[in-house]
Amino acid sequence: MADARAMLVWALTTLLAASYSRNPLHSLLLLLVVWCVYASGASRAKGERLPFGLAGFALVAVPFGAVLNGLTSHVGATLLFRVPAWVPLLGGDVTLEALVFGAINGLNLAIVFGGFAAFNRALSARDVLHLTPKAFKESGVVIAIAMSFVPQAVRNLQRIREAQAVRGHRVEGLRDWLPIVTPLLVGALERALALAEAMVARGYATVGKRDLQSRVHVLLAAGLLALLSGWLCYLLLPQARTASMVVLAAGLVLLGASLYLAGHSVEHTVYRRWAWTVGDTAVVLGCLVTLVVLVWRRSVLDYSPYPQLAWPRFDAMVGLALMALLAPVLYLAIGGRRPAEAKDSRTHGVAGGS
Amino acid sequence: MRRYLASAIYALGAAIGVLVLLYPLLGPLSPGISLGESQPWSTPLLTAGMLGLSVLALLLEAQGQTLSAKAIAMLGVLVALTSVLRFIEVAMPLPGGFSPIFAVIIIAGHVFGARFGFLMGTFSLLTSAVITGGVGPWLPFQMFAAGWVGLTSGWVRCKGRGWERYALYGLGAIWGFLYGIVINLYFWPIAMAPQEQAWDRGLGLGEMLGRYATFYAATSLAWDVARAVGNVALLAILAAPMAKVLLRFRQRFRFEVADG
Repeated sequence: MADARAMLVWALTTLLAASYSRNPLHSLLLLLVVWCVYASGASRAKGERLPFGLAGFALVAVPFGAVLNGLTSHVGATLLFRVPAWVPLLGGDVTLEALVFGAINGLNLAIVFGGFAAFNRALSARDVLHLTPKAFKESGVVIAIAMSFVPQAVRNLQRIREAQAVRGHRVEGLRDWLPIVTPLLVGALERALALAEAMVARGYATVGKRDLQSRVHVLLAAGLLALLSGWLCYLLLPQARTASMVVLAAGLVLLGASLYLAGHSVEHTVYRRWAWTVGDTAVVLGCLVTLVVLVWRRSVLDYSPYPQLAWPRFDAMVGLALMALLAPVLYLAIGGRRPAEAKDSRTHGVAGGS
Repeated sequence: MRRYLASAIYALGAAIGVLVLLYPLLGPLSPGISLGESQPWSTPLLTAGMLGLSVLALLLEAQGQTLSAKAIAMLGVLVALTSVLRFIEVAMPLPGGFSPIFAVIIIAGHVFGARFGFLMGTFSLLTSAVITGGVGPWLPFQMFAAGWVGLTSGWVRCKGRGWERYALYGLGAIWGFLYGIVINLYFWPIAMAPQEQAWDRGLGLGEMLGRYATFYAATSLAWDVARAVGNVALLAILAAPMAKVLLRFRQRFRFEVADG
């Protein structure tokens, strides 16, 4: 499957596309595209069952949305039936338009769920870990340690449960977990202590004692202040929308600068470097094409079944642009990705080793 | 100076987080909130982005202040334990919103301090989401709320161990509800709800709160009662023995390498 960064761009693009499209024909096509990527991610794993999870979610979310909105929103011209007025919450006209509006809500919810389900399915936990920015080196090490330790913690849990069972201990209530949790915790902390000793012995402590530079602190505080001011302007002063967007952008730039400064001195270590391939570029370009067309043809994305239901207009250009989101499937079909040879794998400190 | 800057970062990050979470309730005061039919997701997406940035800034500040080699090792292992608990919770759904991870976050935050607790909360949710495939636009909200669970548990200080224990139980119960209230808020304006529970920009603040209370009571209260009761029960069973073990290891983790 594509690079983690490319897949993140893809997932965010589906999220934006789902949020901007109210046209059910475009949304249906987008759901189909997302399902294809979701299914192709599953087909990587041998023996994995066909991925009906997303289809199942859509089959629940769409009718549920339709029924709920149909029963609670009594607007629309095409009367289907009438719920007696004495029924609390639901009494009133049930219209075709309300059912369709609810179904569109459910459809968009399924797309958002599906986009991130495909992202999660396509990438391993380690691929996602590669997304950690350099500024978060310490955080990355914590997550790497945690993910490395999880399988061992599961094994230890099993061992302790078996040992306690041999001694006649049975888990029947919450309190019975105490003789299992305590040794699990003690064992884990002993391992953490050994790891900490090894890290200190290898010189990690000298890095760990480093506080964030003052400049980073100042930039962080200024960036947050700009974000807060911009957000308040956005909410309270709609006539100053441009100014608030400028302040928000300034906040983003300041935060970006603080991340850059914090990560600037950190040298990243990789055991096996994933190369950015032409296929990854194709995935990102596909997303860009989709976004550009969605912004360009924004007017055809709007659709409302109220006050009277009318057939939505399908725009071929938008349809083609949504098909560009199939790039991860095509990428997999022509051979997928493989790790490049470990060229330029510079080794610096503990971060890469743990 | 650095201390003031750190406090300012925490205050600003918290202000952004709270404002972002409360934006649906600010509807009557803020003509800028756009949740029309044409683009119902645009403001929630913007808020998710804002909250994500706020969490990143707080993480950057907290990791720089807190994470020595020893803290990294300790945090990594404790996060792994909570991730295993979350994995069990996902594989074998527990009653309602009961999740064993909050008790561990509260105890760790209480023993090791507010910053450690914040990191423990955010990393626990992040790592378990990566492991269980739960990455999505909801993650910044979960990380922010769980971070605050750990942060506030570090603030619990009472004279006498007995009172402290009861204060932790109270905190577990409060967060059992507050976590649900916080997580519900961001999608309430776009949720498909009956009219009596639905978000409506034209309402006054009092009526808006009333509607949210009805929505919360109808959709989440029973769920959150299970979480609150579960937190208190787990803290009653685990808090004393776990805190004893953590305190013992806190002492052992104070080793220093002598120069020369």
